[in-house]
Amino acid sequence: MKTSNTFKITAAVLGVLTVAGVAAWIYQLMGGLGVTGMNNGTSWGLYITCFMFFVGLSAGGLIVASSASVFHVKEYKKVALPAVILSTVCICLAGMFVLIDLGGIQRIYQLLLSPNVMSPLFWDICVITLYLIINIVYLYFMVSKKADPRKVAIVSRFALPIAILVHSVTAWIFGLQIAREGWYSAIMAPIFVASALDSGLALLILALSGLKKAKVFDTDKKLIANLAGLLATCIAIDAFFVGCEVLTVAYPQAAGGAALLGEMFGGSTALFFWGEILIGLIIPFCILVFAKNRQKTGLVIISSACVVVGVFFKRVWLLFTSFIHPNIYGAPGISSGSTEAAHASGTSIWATVGAYAPTWVEIVVVVGVISLGALAFMLLARRFLAKAPKADVGDSAVDDRAATAAQTV
Amino acid sequence: MTKLGMAINLTRCIGCQTCAHACKMQNNVPTGMRWNRVITEGCDVPDGALGEYPNLYRTYLPIACQHCENPACQKVCPTGATYKDDQGRVEVDYDKCIGCRMCMAACPYNARVFNWEDPVRDPDFNYGDKSVPVRQKGVVEKCTLCKERTDRGEDPMCVACCPTRARVFGDLDDPSSEISKHLAGKKPTQLLAEKGTEPQVYYYE
Repeated sequence: MKTSNTFKITAAVLGVLTVAGVAAWIYQLMGGLGVTGMNNGTSWGLYITCFMFFVGLSAGGLIVASSASVFHVKEYKKVALPAVILSTVCICLAGMFVLIDLGGIQRIYQLLLSPNVMSPLFWDICVITLYLIINIVYLYFMVSKKADPRKVAIVSRFALPIAILVHSVTAWIFGLQIAREGWYSAIMAPIFVASALDSGLALLILALSGLKKAKVFDTDKKLIANLAGLLATCIAIDAFFVGCEVLTVAYPQAAGGAALLGEMFGGSTALFFWGEILIGLIIPFCILVFAKNRQKTGLVIISSACVVVGVFFKRVWLLFTSFIHPNIYGAPGISSGSTEAAHASGTSIWATVGAYAPTWVEIVVVVGVISLGALAFMLLARRFLAKAPKADVGDSAVDDRAATAAQTV
Repeated sequence: MTKLGMAINLTRCIGCQTCAHACKMQNNVPTGMRWNRVITEGCDVPDGALGEYPNLYRTYLPIACQHCENPACQKVCPTGATYKDDQGRVEVDYDKCIGCRMCMAACPYNARVFNWEDPVRDPDFNYGDKSVPVRQKGVVEKCTLCKERTDRGEDPMCVACCPTRARVFGDLDDPSSEISKHLAGKKPTQLLAEKGTEPQVYYYE
């Protein structure tokens, strides 16, 4: 395949952004996490938001790919390969965000030397590593010449439960913390799995559309419509879980819950909460619930983009709302609670509540990591997908052959 | 078993912050951080007041690590850097801390502070007790119950320096200790008892 100019320019731009991100990360390593907007009041920020977001995005791909084998959904087999590539890239990005967020990355070997098996974070690191390995094995079996479809089928039976597990364990990092009103909830794991399904699926649809536009990999319009139908179902499940959680917090009218919902409905995180409800749930659902709309690729792409943005908003409100109101106002850890106070002296260090805004360093690092991911996806797609024979839209016989080739080549 | 803890008499506390400063000096706590603090309850400024003029009132609450018997921070630490020692104190092994800040998210009391940057001190030298380890950037720290002093059989610095003797330190498991005698017959309370973390710091009036 000839390298087009668009490809070269895009790759160059992404490469430059990645280098900028790496430079910003080195700057952060030198100065410490103080160069970010995080502080003792809001001790996790944009990095952990992106970590949750990308773990979720990674799910959709692998779940679609593995359910093709596990539940024998024949149509999905056609997109299994791009789905697994997407999933592999996203989980790598998620892992990178955890590492970037560490204040003492030079002591990371302590995870191996003295692991604490009670820690959900320790388990998350294990499950993410396992998930990454499964993704790579899956990818290997799909593209290797020696691999046969039986091996793919076996791996997919492990891949599906581990994909669910990876989101659940990520959710438990938050859901098991009795200290935080907004996190401590049994629905956290289901909500993470649901958001993972809808955002991951939406990203897969966007990626498939992008590949089609770049003439790298062709996806049948009917299949996109089918995936869009599944996406509508996942959005509905996600909305149901969010509704359950909000009602359970609101109904007792207790002080802690009221403060939390106050921030979500009309306070600091309201923009993100209502943003998710509107952009992430209502708009895409209302579009995709009609079969006629699902046939229009343009509308499907818009809805998918809405879902991805909406789920990012959800990660934001989910993480930060619980940091706003500490259980004890003005506790020692809050003394430098606001971003300004973290660098202030005199009486302003006596802040009683936390506040957070990302700094330019965090934004450049995040843009860099995402650029690296996009670049990796472009290169992997070119390497593995372009080899599959081109199929005409609507020609199912040729389509099937392409899918089989993609599966077994 | 030894279970070191503290009892704080809220009636005696005058909110002078001597304990906060004594702690900072003893433990070499850098600028912008504190392990111990006296808050004025319900106020967003130190020494504020509640009620309507002229009927004003205020109450003080000294807060540091609660050295919980069931510590949420210790459970979540992926490397075991936070641990419960044989004296019943919750301590941090700074060499094991990878700076993930999971413990900060898990502590219901927000007792923990993080070294976001290379520590800055004013005056610019290590003013703490020389037996207290100096922490580097990227690790979490908090009240150690003055581990270095209490290992030598001394009281924690906040206890030793309190001008109204509002604080009593000792072994909660030893019925003949001063702290046990102090708490006997009183109705001590624990901070956020409903969280089930079982703090070893008791408050009474």
